[in-house]
Amino acid sequence: MSLDVLAGALMIAFAAIGGGIGNGLVISRFVEGVARQPEARSTLFVQAILGVALVEVVPIIAVAFGIMKVLGV
Amino acid sequence: MNLLEMEKTPKIGFELGGVPIDFDLTVVITTTVTCLLVFLIVVLAARKLTMVPSGMQNLVEMVIDFTKGIVRSNLDLKTSSRFYGFAFTLFLFLLIANQLGLVFNLVTEHQQPIPFLGIEASNHAEVAGKEASKYAWWKSPTANLNVVFAMAIAITLMAHFIGIKRSPKNYLAHYFQPYPWMVILHLIDEVAKPVTHGMRLWANIFAGEVLIVIMLQASPLMTGLPLILWIGYSLFVGVVQAYVFTTLAFVYLSQKITTDH
Repeated sequence: MSLDVLAGALMIAFAAIGGGIGNGLVISRFVEGVARQPEARSTLFVQAILGVALVEVVPIIAVAFGIMKVLGV
Repeated sequence: MNLLEMEKTPKIGFELGGVPIDFDLTVVITTTVTCLLVFLIVVLAARKLTMVPSGMQNLVEMVIDFTKGIVRSNLDLKTSSRFYGFAFTLFLFLLIANQLGLVFNLVTEHQQPIPFLGIEASNHAEVAGKEASKYAWWKSPTANLNVVFAMAIAITLMAHFIGIKRSPKNYLAHYFQPYPWMVILHLIDEVAKPVTHGMRLWANIFAGEVLIVIMLQASPLMTGLPLILWIGYSLFVGVVQAYVFTTLAFVYLSQKITTDH
């Protein structure tokens, strides 16, 4: 097994850690907002999904390149 | 340990002045299918129009209202009416294209080369047990980097063109706001926007499809519940990414044509 596989695995692992922290922050604030103002749920939900999608970019790109590294494509 | 090999996609191409131009047949096929499906859905929905919509018409009207909302939240009312059709087309195309690769998987094995279809001879005959080369014929068009970059760059060019057409003075001035030295940051931003815009969509769909292939090849344990869960998640991701791509297209467009900062 070459170091490429290790490199890819590390990329995916750190991407998962970073993405997890970022998404956790977004969703926790969303839940707080809904708890304070339940009627704002629908608007907040759209914003939260948009926020999650924006946070996800860098991790998911890292995952895509990590997979390519592991598979040696 | 050789983890697994990915299937190749058939490519036909020619050389134009020394520059090779390849056409990925899988992308050509699936993009055509996506366009036909979008056309079919809209035509079927509009065949028997009624004042009280039901069934298909109701669904498409919901999508139209949804995309209208995206445009309206970014542009003013006068400008936004020109972009309803574009937003709806973009969203529906992405919605179908993102889900297309999840429906089924079509892989063919070949011993003999077929130049007509872009299939090469098996080039890893020296690897034991791998005589046939495998080709995948069915993938999401958006899982290809070229497709998403074409869309992202086209949208960026449109935003710049409309910005210049509106007011060349404002367009140039916004590069030097709030401070003149910030032009460097603005230029980096203008390059980074289409790159991340395209890559966000590509990486999500690509990672989803690759993981499905890995799960199918990995072990019998992974093909049960985990695969179903992951396909369900991929369906969700496809819808969210279609929404995000459309929204960001109009966010970038509005940054170019709003004059008041």
